[in-house]
Amino acid sequence: MVTAEFPINETMRKPKQIRVGLSWHSPFLLLVPALASIGAVSVYPVFLGLWLSFRDTTLASPTDTFVGLGNYLQLFSDSQFWNAWIHTIQFTCASTLFETLIGLMIALVLCERFRGRGMVRAAMLVPWAIPTVVTSKMFGWLFDGQNGMVNYLLRSVSLIRHNVDWYGSPDFALTTIIIADVWKTTPFIALLLMAGLQTIPGSLSEASVIDGANAWQRFWYVRLPLLAPTLLIASMFRALDAFRIFDLVYVLTGGGPADSTEVLSTLTYKNLFSALQVGYGSSLSTMMFLTEILIALIFGVFLLRQMRAIGQ
Amino acid sequence: MQKQASPRLESQQTSDPVLHREIGQPEESVDQSPNDIKGIRRREFIKRTGLAVAGLSAASTLLTPIRRGVAAGTKPTEITFASAKFFGKETIAEVVEAFNGSQEKIHVTYKELPPPSSSTEVHQGLVQQLARRNGNPDVFTQDIIWIAEFAAAKWALTLDEYFNAEAMKEYFPGVVQACKWQGKLTALPWFIDSGMLYYRSDLLDGIGAKPPETWDELIDSAKKLTSSGKAKFGFLWQAKQAEVLVCDLVSFIGSNGGAILEPDGKTVSVADDAAVESVQLMHDLIRKDQITPEDVMSWDEEPSRRPFTSGEAAFLRNWSYVWKVCQSKEDSSVIDKVGVAPLPHFPGKKSAACLGGYQYGVNASSKNKDAAIEFARWMSSPETQLRFAVQLGLCPTRSAVLDDPKIAQEEPFMQRLKSVFVGAIGRPVTPKYPQVTLVLQSAVSRALTNGDVKGELQAAKEKIQAIVKT
Repeated sequence: MVTAEFPINETMRKPKQIRVGLSWHSPFLLLVPALASIGAVSVYPVFLGLWLSFRDTTLASPTDTFVGLGNYLQLFSDSQFWNAWIHTIQFTCASTLFETLIGLMIALVLCERFRGRGMVRAAMLVPWAIPTVVTSKMFGWLFDGQNGMVNYLLRSVSLIRHNVDWYGSPDFALTTIIIADVWKTTPFIALLLMAGLQTIPGSLSEASVIDGANAWQRFWYVRLPLLAPTLLIASMFRALDAFRIFDLVYVLTGGGPADSTEVLSTLTYKNLFSALQVGYGSSLSTMMFLTEILIALIFGVFLLRQMRAIGQ
Repeated sequence: MQKQASPRLESQQTSDPVLHREIGQPEESVDQSPNDIKGIRRREFIKRTGLAVAGLSAASTLLTPIRRGVAAGTKPTEITFASAKFFGKETIAEVVEAFNGSQEKIHVTYKELPPPSSSTEVHQGLVQQLARRNGNPDVFTQDIIWIAEFAAAKWALTLDEYFNAEAMKEYFPGVVQACKWQGKLTALPWFIDSGMLYYRSDLLDGIGAKPPETWDELIDSAKKLTSSGKAKFGFLWQAKQAEVLVCDLVSFIGSNGGAILEPDGKTVSVADDAAVESVQLMHDLIRKDQITPEDVMSWDEEPSRRPFTSGEAAFLRNWSYVWKVCQSKEDSSVIDKVGVAPLPHFPGKKSAACLGGYQYGVNASSKNKDAAIEFARWMSSPETQLRFAVQLGLCPTRSAVLDDPKIAQEEPFMQRLKSVFVGAIGRPVTPKYPQVTLVLQSAVSRALTNGDVKGELQAAKEKIQAIVKT
């Protein structure tokens, strides 16, 4: 930075008028619009939510007093909350894992040269471009317990004898939602990883081929380690995004049956917007926020270690 | 969801009824002046506005008494009306326009909320506006389950002084009861809906059975029909973890003489024997008798309606709208093969249907209460109820209107269902209903899945007690 400033200062010195009016606070003044908008749409709501989570505000009754940690104590003893928390973690882990693995496979294939690659690359993105509510309706029909395509196919290859009730049974409902999410969001991961793969110089692969490495070794020892930071960033994006899963659950099951698909977002929605318990709902969303930070931290630690390893 | 609702709310803010009422005609020319700017020099424009304002202020002091007298004849009182969206041959907007055309004193602006199928959004939209207490909207329609909540929050105006007990006798007593909170009338009846039993009359004739009156008769007929392959499903209802599950729950528990919450609004009876037996029956219909497919666990109204109207099911519990679907050539393969009856009951008990429907409310903060009341009175009048019945298929809440020959001609099924409507019972009456229903939905869905009926209902009872106590 210091060396870079010299030429700039040299040129600035000649037209003296430009320096007039520029003082130490000028850069900060220029930042004000950006800071104000971030403050209005991001910082303020977060702190308002935090503030509300210490109150017993409900919209439909005049109660609005400070209750300290009351909401959080209630939250920790609320089986609904832990039930939703566990489902959310299950969903996040499963969908991130499968999406990263399948996305990696797709990315590797789409990096190879073959005829019609452009078409396939474009087609791959289609699921991601479809609005989630449409995806939800589509999977609702595919996995319909009575007339669904999936049941029909499984029956015709004799994998099942009776129709499986995908959304009506607590054993399958969450799994079905995970499948829908994997279908929808894998292209996103594939896209990020493809970008990562393209930054790895082809010469490295070629060199390893000359050294006698087979395809697996080429992937495992050369490309994967170099792809690791991209992989971590992509799955972090995905995990943070998956953690706030709402639309699929809301459209497909509404949290049921027997709370088996209730996740934190739907539970928060029910408390905030159906029951209008603004205080308690805010403590729920604050807990979501904290868990998200935790997830980001875990990924951050791995990412740092990876970057250091590469740096050395 | 909230984002979708809010633009609508914002737009409602813009038309302040008070402003419009108090500003006389001359001021409107000032309002419109930006349109005149074209072609007029700026100085000229300023001069004119200055003159207009000066003239106006002079006029307003001098002519106030006269102007008011004139305004009463020419400038109507502006009020707003917000309602969930219903439509048939006519829309609500057209009915409101009919009111505006019928007299000159009041002008109603209609604000449409989402349809009743998105009732959470309708509720949210109303609460956000009513909580501001700025008198907007002056008149609104509310789902029958929100009446207690809106009344307890003092958002809904008490209507006793405008509608005496004598006037209310013209409505079905069950609906009037549901329109009251702590003995005070806070809502005015609009239309009624209730859950009912649809059955395949051809299939029942085939096995020589009558429409079932008790649950045992229903189970018996359904088993005969499914085992002989005449129907794929015996009895369809709705068990999706949603509001509809509570509607079904109310009719099962009511048909055993039980209740979820006693009329005092504090005593929770959802874990009493009558309720436990009823939920056990719901569980057994799916797991033991197996006349109800497990799929109902994820079904609300429409998914459960489709197999019935395509001829796959013998019995269906649903709302009155299904009757029309059954008779439509495009959607139904069971035209003229369907009958309607009150839902079955336990031996020695009475049938109970879940009471539904939207009712009028007047905003307690309304700045034009008299005009608002007059509009609500017109909307709930026999003529308008008849119009809603014939044009929008909404069942009247006035006994005399339901007997009208015009309804016999246009909507014959409504009269046949009179006994169902009259016997309908309400859901738990408490201002905390939105919280109570979430507990019930979760508990009953769990009980139907794991079979621990007693345990889940006991847990629900404790939670509900904690909610209604405060």
